[in-house]
Amino acid sequence: MTKKRRLYLEPRDILLSLLLPGLGHLVRGFWEKSLVFFGALALFGTTMGMAVAKHRLTWFAGTDDYWFSSLMLFLFLLIVWVFAQFDLNRNIKSQSAKQYSFGYWALTARRFGRDAKGIMGLLIILLTVHVAIFAPFFSSGHNFEGVSGYVKPIQHAIKMNLRDFQAAPSGNHPLGTDNFGRDVLDRIIYGSRVALGIGVVATLLNMLLGGFLGLIGGYFRGTSDAVIMRILEVINSIPFLVLVLLVRGLWSGGVLSLMLTLGIFGLQPARIIRSEVLSVRESDYVSAAKAIGVPTWRIILKYVLPNAIASLMVVTTMSIGVNIIVVAGLSFLGYGVPPPTPSWGAMLQEAQEYMRTAWWMAVYPGLAIVITVFGFNILGDSLRDVLDPRLK
Amino acid sequence: MIGYTLRRLIQVVFTVFALTVLVFLMLKLMPGDPAVVMAGIGAELEVIEGIREELGLNRPWPVQYWRFISGLFNGRLQAMTYHRSVWSVIFSRLPATIELGIFGILIALVVSIPAGLLSAIYRNSVLDYTVTTVALMGISIPVFWFALMLMLLFGVVLGILPVSGRGTSIALFGIQNLRVSFVTWDGFRHLIIPAVALASVQMAMNARLTRASMLEVLRQDYVTTARAKGLKERVVLVKHAFRNALAPVVTNVGLQIGTLIAGAVLTETTTAWPGIGRLMVEAISRRDQAVVFGLALFLAVFFQLSYLIVDLTYAYIDPRITYD
Repeated sequence: MTKKRRLYLEPRDILLSLLLPGLGHLVRGFWEKSLVFFGALALFGTTMGMAVAKHRLTWFAGTDDYWFSSLMLFLFLLIVWVFAQFDLNRNIKSQSAKQYSFGYWALTARRFGRDAKGIMGLLIILLTVHVAIFAPFFSSGHNFEGVSGYVKPIQHAIKMNLRDFQAAPSGNHPLGTDNFGRDVLDRIIYGSRVALGIGVVATLLNMLLGGFLGLIGGYFRGTSDAVIMRILEVINSIPFLVLVLLVRGLWSGGVLSLMLTLGIFGLQPARIIRSEVLSVRESDYVSAAKAIGVPTWRIILKYVLPNAIASLMVVTTMSIGVNIIVVAGLSFLGYGVPPPTPSWGAMLQEAQEYMRTAWWMAVYPGLAIVITVFGFNILGDSLRDVLDPRLK
Repeated sequence: MIGYTLRRLIQVVFTVFALTVLVFLMLKLMPGDPAVVMAGIGAELEVIEGIREELGLNRPWPVQYWRFISGLFNGRLQAMTYHRSVWSVIFSRLPATIELGIFGILIALVVSIPAGLLSAIYRNSVLDYTVTTVALMGISIPVFWFALMLMLLFGVVLGILPVSGRGTSIALFGIQNLRVSFVTWDGFRHLIIPAVALASVQMAMNARLTRASMLEVLRQDYVTTARAKGLKERVVLVKHAFRNALAPVVTNVGLQIGTLIAGAVLTETTTAWPGIGRLMVEAISRRDQAVVFGLALFLAVFFQLSYLIVDLTYAYIDPRITYD
């Protein structure tokens, strides 16, 4: 066979990719891409291995916890397999057609790919999310002595086991146990679900509500703007943590109401969107669109929102981190996530009492918070540099 | 300028009024009857009724709201669980928080300004990367955990600093409520951990701000001019750059009051520092509506006025800014 370069997807590539995603990329010379695929495979493979090794007996025991994680694992693997085909095809095509894209998003993606800080933040976040999704596979899952029958993995993070009262870190409990004998590592792993879940949902609510208010206020000006700005001023007239503490302290309630409280009162995005909208609405292309009779909703969707998206992305990333810290702070004060649900802030509250005897209870949950929030902060920082080079 | 200040003040009054209504509604809609809490477990119904009568809890809401507001202004509103007037409760705790806040700000500025300046001057050096990374870490660390770690390291492991409380304090001018603790050695040792913990976030934010501001200044034409006319680099930096770079940093301290108050709530609770942040948490858990209400009003006014002062300072420092 001649050494001529093959410029299309061949059956051999498809077969290789089906055999092992990334193999096709490797053969065709896209070795960087193949590393990404191999990395993903290694991660999911390890996760699967842990699942099989630790929960062999209870693999399909029929609990929602396992089902969710198993289903997600299957889905992720499927995505990797299917995506490998599409990606290989796309790469070969763009290689043959010499297509280079210089659109805003392509350039942004390229800049982001060169920013080590952003990549690191993304990796930290992906790992945290991975741990949260596959929590039952990563949790120790050792059975309690004397407990017969099947025990849900989350129970290891919740149920008391006073035999292991404040055990120091050891092989059996890598990060020790707390004052109820619960494994600290298990609680941190399950705590990631709580932290990320609340952080993400609350931030999405902030974005929807705040974004909507900012959009309305900035675009229509006048009375609606004045009313919205006054509401924001009232909410901002007291520090966010204190306001949320008041609401939670007076009403208490569960995780759902915590999400709602943070979601409703964290209206910071409104200001940012509003100022963005104010500048866009004065631009010539919006005037032109208005002049030829483009309806308002279309102007907002086509011209105003895309211009605000860059700052929206930065704010979203940063405020997930802020919300995680606020939730931890509230839980630390006893007004956040109610026990016994494992949450990082509440773990620290319990740890404070036992600082002289069990330092591990205080150190590790805090490290989990710091690492997660750090991930979101450096990603947000990098996004700000990448999305809007003017700001640098 | 005076017109602007007046308008802003009126705005502050309205905002704070709206906030007090909001807080009042929250207090009234909350589950749990403060009279029952105060009467204690197993109290007679008549006792509970009596407390309700005494506190005016059975009156219509507008009347109760007026009782709160007027009581705060003439200073006669009694705290429900502290057996003193609300203001006396708040002012007995305030000096501790102010002391903590001032030390926090000072520590933050003393560390962050040199760090930020050096990191901007030696841009892209190892020092710069260290400072920016540490600063990013700093805004990711929850203050209460940082306080816990300091307590663990210096209090429990090394045993060189006290873990909690305020230590000995001295009443200034013989006023019992006006106590300061940093003047005594014991009180000073107690102050270190909470102040450093409180300063951590400010430190990180100010270092980032100083760096950005200094980089901005170094790009300006007058710096190039100063260098072009052959001034020594030291003179360029000290005489031309520092002053302009630091103005936004110093005024920004006022804008960080909010973070500081939020930080104080957490730090004071962690280190058992008897300030208003801890009072807030205490009053909420004791369901003391009067103290919560008074404290919310006080914090809002304080917060809003500090913002106003920052805006006015901007105009004072930078003659190009005018408000009209």
